Amino acid sequence: MGLSKDRIRFNVGGRIFETTSTTLANAGRGSFFGALFDENWNLSQPGDEEEEDLFIDRNPDCFAVLLDLLRTGDLNIPPNIPERLLHKEAMFYGLIDHLRTAKWGPFDGNRLRLSRSVTGIAPGDGTAIRAGPDGGCCVAHGSVVHVFDWMLEEHPTINLDYQRVNDVGWINSGNIVLSACERLGRGDGGMGLFSSSSGELRYKFQVSHDNQVKSYSAGALSFSPDSKIFTSCKGRSNEYGIGVWDQITGKQVDFFYESPGWSLGDADKLQWLNGKNCLLVATLFPRKDNCYISLLDFRDKNMVWSWSDIGSPATADEKRVRDAIAMEESNSICVVNEFEDLGFIDLRMDGGGSSVRWSSRSRLMKSKMPDEPCYPKLALHEGQLFSSMNDSISVFCGSDWVLTSRLKRSYGGSICDFSIGGDRLFALHSEENVFDVWETLPPPVI
Amino acid sequence: MSNQKKRNFQIEAFKHRVVVDPKYADKTWQILERAIHQIYNQDASGLSFEELYRNAYNMVLHKFGEKLYSGFIATMTAHLKEKSKLIEAAQGGSFLEELNKKWNEHNKALEMIRDILMYMDRTYIESTKKTHVHPMGLNLWRDNVVHFPKIHTRLLNTLLDLVQKERTGEVIDRGLMRNVIKMFMDLGESVYQEDFEKPFLEASSEFYKVESQEFIESCDCGDYLKKAEKRLTEEIDRVAHYLDPKSEEKITSVVEKEMIANHMQRLVHMENSGLVNMLLNDKYEDLGRMYNLFRRVTNGLLTVRDVMTSHLREMGKQLVTDPEKSKDPVEYVQRLLDERDKYDKVINTAFGNDKTFQNALNSSFEYFINLNARSPEFISLFVDDKLRKGLKGITDVDVEVILDKVMMLFRYLQEKDVFEKYYKQHLAKRLLSGKTVSDDAERSLIVKLKTECGYQFTSKLEGMFTDMKTSEDTMRGFYGSHPELSEGPTLIVQVLTTGSWPTQPAVPCNLPAEVSVLCEKFRSYYLGTHTGRRLSWQTNMGTADIKAVFGKGQKHELNVSTFQMCVLMLFNNSDRLSYKEIEQATEIPAPDLKRCLQSLACVKGKNVIKKEPMSKDIGEEDSFFVNDKFTSKFYKVKIGTVVAQKETEPEKQETRQRVEEDRKPQIEAAIVRIMKSRKILDHNNIIAEVTKQLQPRFLANPTEIKKRIESLIERDFLERDSTDRKLYRYLA
Repeated sequence: MGLSKDRIRFNVGGRIFETTSTTLANAGRGSFFGALFDENWNLSQPGDEEEEDLFIDRNPDCFAVLLDLLRTGDLNIPPNIPERLLHKEAMFYGLIDHLRTAKWGPFDGNRLRLSRSVTGIAPGDGTAIRAGPDGGCCVAHGSVVHVFDWMLEEHPTINLDYQRVNDVGWINSGNIVLSACERLGRGDGGMGLFSSSSGELRYKFQVSHDNQVKSYSAGALSFSPDSKIFTSCKGRSNEYGIGVWDQITGKQVDFFYESPGWSLGDADKLQWLNGKNCLLVATLFPRKDNCYISLLDFRDKNMVWSWSDIGSPATADEKRVRDAIAMEESNSICVVNEFEDLGFIDLRMDGGGSSVRWSSRSRLMKSKMPDEPCYPKLALHEGQLFSSMNDSISVFCGSDWVLTSRLKRSYGGSICDFSIGGDRLFALHSEENVFDVWETLPPPVI
Repeated sequence: MSNQKKRNFQIEAFKHRVVVDPKYADKTWQILERAIHQIYNQDASGLSFEELYRNAYNMVLHKFGEKLYSGFIATMTAHLKEKSKLIEAAQGGSFLEELNKKWNEHNKALEMIRDILMYMDRTYIESTKKTHVHPMGLNLWRDNVVHFPKIHTRLLNTLLDLVQKERTGEVIDRGLMRNVIKMFMDLGESVYQEDFEKPFLEASSEFYKVESQEFIESCDCGDYLKKAEKRLTEEIDRVAHYLDPKSEEKITSVVEKEMIANHMQRLVHMENSGLVNMLLNDKYEDLGRMYNLFRRVTNGLLTVRDVMTSHLREMGKQLVTDPEKSKDPVEYVQRLLDERDKYDKVINTAFGNDKTFQNALNSSFEYFINLNARSPEFISLFVDDKLRKGLKGITDVDVEVILDKVMMLFRYLQEKDVFEKYYKQHLAKRLLSGKTVSDDAERSLIVKLKTECGYQFTSKLEGMFTDMKTSEDTMRGFYGSHPELSEGPTLIVQVLTTGSWPTQPAVPCNLPAEVSVLCEKFRSYYLGTHTGRRLSWQTNMGTADIKAVFGKGQKHELNVSTFQMCVLMLFNNSDRLSYKEIEQATEIPAPDLKRCLQSLACVKGKNVIKKEPMSKDIGEEDSFFVNDKFTSKFYKVKIGTVVAQKETEPEKQETRQRVEEDRKPQIEAAIVRIMKSRKILDHNNIIAEVTKQLQPRFLANPTEIKKRIESLIERDFLERDSTDRKLYRYLA
């Protein structure tokens, strides 16, 4: 009967599929199909009389989905197919990257949909959630860190000898840095580098003061594009400050000591500002009674900018800063108080003189505070500002930061942390150990 | 049946965990191993990719990734060990071919094996950070074939032999060569470098060391360079054909070092064929080759430039100091220009118009032109010659070219003021005698001087032109107001502004009565139209046309100088005059009178008077009479003065002195200008600054500057600092 050269018939697990080699070419040389049709494997001779269907001993339903993915570039998973099975099949054919790309679009805070909620088994409140560069995430709970890949498959948990974890961060898709409290009298804790896939400890970062290795508690983390790791450090003998390591050598390269009357070692938040070549360090209520925000220039060991609410009017206690984020494009720092009022501090004026310009638009919120409130958090992603408050996340856009969207789910309680990365937004709830995954909708059909 | 029915039907729970067949892994691996063998034996047509892929996938899925990985390595290693024995067994020339064949087979097999193990590559290897299948296959080939002791050196020697053969002119299989070298590159940069490139470069270095030694003993410089150039292009060609492009720089630097850098000095200085010889014989092609080759090595061009510079200086020095050659100023300057043209052409055609070479050329010229103190004078004389007669029949464009070249030489002069002095004299003579050929050319040169040296330098020269123009108008006015003068001798007066013209002491001389009457009339006319002016007659600069009738009635018009006219007019009244009588009557200063009489009596064909005794020189006791037998083909006879074309020694001294005198106020002005802005300055700095400021005009002599400073101190322009005697202070 002879099929035309371009046509190909498969028998996948008993079901016949007919497609073209052009469609299969979309899979690329590094896939099962690419190898199958390579001339090395001189498959069916053209014009062969007894041409048989190519048999593949795999699940036909999944094959159908993946074949459609190759045909249209769109992913449509029927409800009867478990995602895990589909992922496994995609792995077999070498199409996992195709599937990953088709699953969700480029991040846009105003077009997000809740894709999944993952319920964990960890007891107690979550500490932090961090989005990985390729769509995975890690969640710190007490003394362990749970790692999920983009398929939301959980990998072996990570711990730094079960110390209380303060912060986690992704160096790249294969490596996670974890900072932990030092345990009294044991000399462990500090900061470690772990494999995200196996959970193994790969490297432990050390702090030296006066050429002596000292134990320390590591707090907030930040990374710079030139492969540096920053963390706030508290040493046993009052060696407080910001430590800097090189990601490649693993060696400590710098240490910025805290000066009296200021706070660095207790910092809640570090943020590397690439344009200014500075590190933002913020220590906030309630860790300290006052808020301290400063910009450090490590090249000349200089605090180039600082702001504190010490000595502010008494009314300020209802406007305590709970999170801060620097916005380099508008040369300002955005802060948030416990009522989700946003405030802005001008970076061009020295912090001593400048005050916070509050935009109080959410006074209504005060009346219906939940029983177990969470402190608000801020995030910035490509010109969109995100602020979490209680059980929802607000999205602000434009130069005047207009509220454009609100992400909200009904259960799980208040959001204690959230993170954006790998074109996904992860929100960690304080109760039930749940985190939500938000993805951008695929583009419209036409 | 009932029995059966009664029986308690019981489903037993599994007592054992579900275990995969313990032999499962071995069985699956055997299938894959067999497939790998078949692939290596080119017997893969019966294999099912789907089946093999699924089996490999299952092994990884069931946690036998390690077994699969180590099995693949062991099987491939065994195969490659076998292959290397086969390659080793290949005889002579087929060795490389066999290696290449097996390499291609391995590549194909490796590709197929990687296809089968694709899932392992993505998952197991990725998570365990082991080496991926493809690079692993290359490593195995490297370790088991390329580094197999019996192949390793043989392969290298075979390749080097082939290169050697090609260098000695044999034709080799470049395609095969390229494939084998490509194999090294595929195995990684370090393999290519360590196993091939490094020994290749060493062998090349040795080869070219020997060859260059051979060449340099047997060839002249030009031939040697030709060979070196050929070798260089051959090596570049070799890289393009079968080596890694990155090797080009390395191999060329080997050739450059062995063939050029190591023999640089010897080549440049090679007797009868080195650089100097090439320059002397205009071997542009060889020079260009030398430039292009030497440019490639450190200090190569520096060496060429240095030798060229010292040759130029030597040659130039000879040119300007040779008394024979400086006899004729025009010839002298022409030679300079010719040399410059020649080297300009060398630099242009052979040295790629290299700026550093141009600078070397300029500095050399500057060096030797100033060795001869008369260069400024000669250059002015050259211009004079050109503007007097040399420019006839030449287009304006060519005139510009010549003038531009002269300006080039002018730029080299350190004593530009000396040139100015002479130029002024020569221009004055040209203007007054009406000898200048082209007004445009004259002005063009002045414009050039002006752009070069500024307004000051040429203001007087321009004043001279203005005077000429004004005089024309004045003469028209004079004759307009004295219509009665149309009869009798015609007087043409050029009124020269004192200061603009080279001043020569007004030589007193008694003009013939006819002329002096006219002069008086002009004086009263001129002073009548201009007030506050003083006229004095520069009789030494005038000319006259007089008509003369000789013995047999021959009529001639004689073109003579004012002095000559004065002398000749005396013979209207007497036939014979003694030297003393003439001197008394005319009051012309003795040297001028002697020169004047010499030109009238001693020049053959123009001797309108005769003297006794007949001799070349004029004596105080000589007497003179009209040469009645004077004949000439022409009606008009020009009687030139025996003019000193070049200056005589005392004149030279005088000019020199005048120049020195003129410099004094300039030096003083410079000192005052500098001190006015600096207020306090030490001695050395003043000298330096003054020298710098005056550089465009002349090279100031430090002793002279010192004298000027002292003079200024005396006149209270400056004072010495009371504590530090080396400091000078400006007094406002």
